Amino acid sequence: MPNGMVLLGEPMAGVESVAFDFMLPMGAARMPTGCCGASNVLSEWMFRGAGARDSRQLGDALDGLGVQRSTSIGSSHVYLGGALESSNLSEALAVYSDVILNPRLTAEQFDMARQLIVEELKSLDDEPRQRVTLELRKRFYPDPLGRSTMGELEDLDRLTARRGREIAKNHLNVPEVVFSVAGKYDFEAICRQLEGVFGPHAGKRSRRRKTASQKAGYTHVPHDGAQVHIGLMTGTARFVDEDYYSARMAVSVLSGSMSSRLFTEVREKRGLCYAIGAKYHSLKEAAGILCYAGTTPDKAQETLDVILAEFGRLAEGISDEEMARAKIGLKASVILQSESSASRAGAIGGDYYMLGRVRPLEEIKGRIEATSVDSVLGFLRSHPFQDYTVVTIGPREVRVG
Amino acid sequence: MEFTHKTLANGLVLIGEINPPSKSAAVGYFVRTGARDEAPQINGVSHFLEHMLFKGNDRLSAFEVNEAFDSRGAQFNAFTSEEQTVFYAAVLPEYLIEITELWAELMRPALRDDDFDIEKNVIKEEIAMYQDTPMFDVMDRCRSLHFGTHPCGSSVLGSVESIDALTAEQMRGYFARRYVPNNMIVACTGTFDWDRFCATVEAISGRWQTAPVDRPLAHFDGTKAKTRAEKANLKREHICLMHTGVSAQDPRRFAASLLSMIVGDDYGSRFYWDLVDKALAEEASMHFSPMDGTGMFYSYLRCGTPNVGKVLGIVEGIFQDLAANGIREEELVKARNKVLSTLVLKNELPMGRLVDLGFNWMYSGEYRSIEQDVEAVKAVHAADVNRLIREIDLGSCTRYSLGPATAA
Repeated sequence: MPNGMVLLGEPMAGVESVAFDFMLPMGAARMPTGCCGASNVLSEWMFRGAGARDSRQLGDALDGLGVQRSTSIGSSHVYLGGALESSNLSEALAVYSDVILNPRLTAEQFDMARQLIVEELKSLDDEPRQRVTLELRKRFYPDPLGRSTMGELEDLDRLTARRGREIAKNHLNVPEVVFSVAGKYDFEAICRQLEGVFGPHAGKRSRRRKTASQKAGYTHVPHDGAQVHIGLMTGTARFVDEDYYSARMAVSVLSGSMSSRLFTEVREKRGLCYAIGAKYHSLKEAAGILCYAGTTPDKAQETLDVILAEFGRLAEGISDEEMARAKIGLKASVILQSESSASRAGAIGGDYYMLGRVRPLEEIKGRIEATSVDSVLGFLRSHPFQDYTVVTIGPREVRVG
Repeated sequence: MEFTHKTLANGLVLIGEINPPSKSAAVGYFVRTGARDEAPQINGVSHFLEHMLFKGNDRLSAFEVNEAFDSRGAQFNAFTSEEQTVFYAAVLPEYLIEITELWAELMRPALRDDDFDIEKNVIKEEIAMYQDTPMFDVMDRCRSLHFGTHPCGSSVLGSVESIDALTAEQMRGYFARRYVPNNMIVACTGTFDWDRFCATVEAISGRWQTAPVDRPLAHFDGTKAKTRAEKANLKREHICLMHTGVSAQDPRRFAASLLSMIVGDDYGSRFYWDLVDKALAEEASMHFSPMDGTGMFYSYLRCGTPNVGKVLGIVEGIFQDLAANGIREEELVKARNKVLSTLVLKNELPMGRLVDLGFNWMYSGEYRSIEQDVEAVKAVHAADVNRLIREIDLGSCTRYSLGPATAA
């Protein structure tokens, strides 16, 4: 659009459904210092009345259209998503446009929105597995990139409706909004509709925030549960880097599926864990391999030792068979995911934000195919795993290194 | 979409729904066995056995099994419930036949002692993991409270004690009784060649021997008991409610799924507006769980301890109001649209379709197209839902609360 807002679409054959995402530039890392959790409160608050509809009428309107709502908070963006049977798309987009452009943001609804986010955050105390990932990202990524996407209690306590409205005004910057849609739709009609409502809104591109440096280290959070929940993270190539596909292949060899190294060594051979795995995680500015394992206290030390040994051993060699399995696994998962409209809408929006363009499936498959044992080992040797950020939550501490 | 099916001489049923625009195919073996089919002394064996099938047969080791799936890029796994054990894979069409062949072979596992011993540790870790997941923990406890002595109260995972006591010999005996071809089906969806699929299955599974197998089916209304347990490490109150439901064979199941949407969908339901919207509970949902010959509704609520009394009072008010006054027409319209959207979205993927296809056949021995399900949902009137509310006595339920020691 002339004002800079981006509209992306990817049609899918043979489906009756459609999914869309509005990426709003108000993720956790973009919030002002001392306002961690404002993204969550805002995205809850915005749905509590917009334009001509109060909270109840808005909820009823979306339900009446059969919209499956999804809201998620990322480091850079808040994602307001919807999925539905395609004939109601235009009406659903009208409601979402109102939520973004004309939220009522009343004081009364603020109190309940904030309270709900506070309650959700408090419930994290009972979910050590989810908590370990948040604590890990907080310590691994340079501040503010790793800030908790669920918020911080003391910041939420201080947040006021007035401050919330101010943040909304500064961050709901239309030129930086990315809209993506996948499934069955009429792109011309969507463009006409969204240009009509978002077109008149100008704004300026925000500056990128400076990030602080982060030091690797070990943190233990005592929790009298059944297991020690171990999270560890180490840096790797970013999504936007030339080495991205080598990093993805390395993670696949390590933990792409059940024949990969972590599952085989930790679970199959030693029976140390039920849940064990590592995945690739990238922001635009930094990326890491995030590993999780849950194990009973007596096995926690051995589990961590085996995991670290496997990370260390990766650069020593990868077999042709492992490489072939990693390739076909990644290619198949890309193709299988492409059949879900919600997953495609999310993927094309993410591509655009990271790269400024959407990668065709053929390009992804080609880039995966172009990697080799040599290229992955070369990458691992020039970027060895050195520093690990480790967090454990549970009844017993471990020794790292 | 085209449906087709075939029954082998030994009783194994093959079903397929061919959908040529799909970029993938999904295949699954469905075994009619689960926690409800276990004697108390072998509780947990169905789920443990599910793990053991991945350990290979006389020809393949555990690693070779994983390697065989992974070298074809299959997304594969299995799950065990109270009444089913399902092994599945989503694959690119070119690998469907090889993956089908692999699953067929694995349905006759080696069940080696040393694999059994190592896997016992993994199972106990899985039990520990769920103990640290209070939502799961409270639902498991509530199920056993609700079903009392009815077999559906058995825990899928079993306990550390029952798993410790279980022997490989007992598992082999259970396997021989339950994994017989007349107690299984194999289903396929997406893009695939039906004749090749049948020939592949038949070449391996056609040799299996039929044996008598049964499952006592009795409806159970639930004990309607109420209890609370404390766990020192918890900070929130986790509450599970169970109401009498209808079975997976019952024509009222479509009205039941609409009712659960009206009461406890994530957004826009009665729970949502009265509890979540008002920030009294951060989580409040209700689901309908149809089973073989019986069924239930389960609700999960999570809140801070100061709100417990208020939340339970509101929930009781919602059910009393429904029992007295029924649902409103506009609630039904919204719920219907949401159920229809869910159906359409789930059916985008052959993998999403596979489970519905398999379950319909397992429960009713019938094929139901998406269109038939859509029509059945559209045909439900408010009067049908209200009749169901009266028939199942929505005013009373079983309740299990799990919370911190300090709660009132």
